[in-house]
Amino acid sequence: MDLKPYANYLRAASAMIAGVGIGLFATILSLNAGYGFNSLRAGPWTAWPHIGGADIDPYARAVISRSGEAPLGRDQGLAFIARADSNGAPLSAECEYRIIDPLPAARFWTIALANPHGRLLANPTERYGYSSVDVLRKEGGAFEIDVAREARPGNWLSPGAAKDFVVMLRLYDTPLDIESAPDPDSFPKIVKLGCA
Amino acid sequence: MRLNIPDRYLDLLPWLFATLLVAGIVHIVSVLLMPTLAPNDALARLASYVKSAAPAEGLVMLPQMAPGAETLPFEDPAFAEAVCVYDLAKGPLRVKTSVDGEDFLGLSFHGVAGRIYHSMTDRSAIKGKIDIVVGDARQIDALTSADEGDAPPPQEVRLTAPAKRGFILIRSLAKRASDQERARSRLSAISCQRFDLPQG
Repeated sequence: MDLKPYANYLRAASAMIAGVGIGLFATILSLNAGYGFNSLRAGPWTAWPHIGGADIDPYARAVISRSGEAPLGRDQGLAFIARADSNGAPLSAECEYRIIDPLPAARFWTIALANPHGRLLANPTERYGYSSVDVLRKEGGAFEIDVAREARPGNWLSPGAAKDFVVMLRLYDTPLDIESAPDPDSFPKIVKLGCA
Repeated sequence: MRLNIPDRYLDLLPWLFATLLVAGIVHIVSVLLMPTLAPNDALARLASYVKSAAPAEGLVMLPQMAPGAETLPFEDPAFAEAVCVYDLAKGPLRVKTSVDGEDFLGLSFHGVAGRIYHSMTDRSAIKGKIDIVVGDARQIDALTSADEGDAPPPQEVRLTAPAKRGFILIRSLAKRASDQERARSRLSAISCQRFDLPQG
């Protein structure tokens, strides 16, 4: 069979199919990369303040509709997520970490663990996070939170049997300026203590 | 048939552009359509929970968060939460409560497709009261025109919702794990009621 008269149709068809494939692939890649543009970064922490307002961009809307989450409103506070420690190494439940203050000004804050899809991590303590009120503080108000599978004295969060986890830092009623880059030194450090 | 390789590549160049053009269009269209097509967004999850919890309207408490029992992902486990899923086609909505000024209470108003059109905390309560009316543009207009002539200005905050359907998510902070009960009782003191527009 001579395909030569149809060569242009074949090329058009393959351009279409390849285009659809590349387009959908680009969509999947961009939706897995975060909540669109205008992120706020401070050390290992990232927040997307505009996802809590009416000027949310189309990428963030697509991500949120797909994950099914209801983000924090912009006038309520800011939710920061850390997927890596302060040295940039991805968080792994095989390792032990220490979260060390300071924290930016806020009426309340909470620090909690979750899996990368935002689900709580089953663990024997049934504690999933600390708030600014119930965290144990040293003299002077400083605190540390240990993240480890094995029990620790003081503030301890366990990732349980999970392989990966993220740390969520939520600041409620915070005066933090979302228009300028925050000072990383005013945010908690996540220090790796060692790996199993 | 010529076997000039540079020429053959040049022939393919327009098809490469066509591929990239199609890819760009598909990418933009799929991102823009995602909020309408995503079957399991927050509104769908909450609406199906409210349906299973029996009451047809009003405020519905969400179960206490536990691994495997979260209604929504990425919620703060320190909070007790309640939701009011609405459809303005049946009438406007009033959310009312009083606050003690000490404990954090957050209200966010979500339209369809992941858009928050209003959010507040108990800090912005007026004289210890939160009184918010949610309606579509026509309903808010009707309320405003019904005001005229009346002596005292309305005390409530009026919000124009961008879509008929949506939900109000109310988060109440339990500062300590033992405060969960108190946080839940503060939520159950909130009313979220549909009301009828004034006649005339």
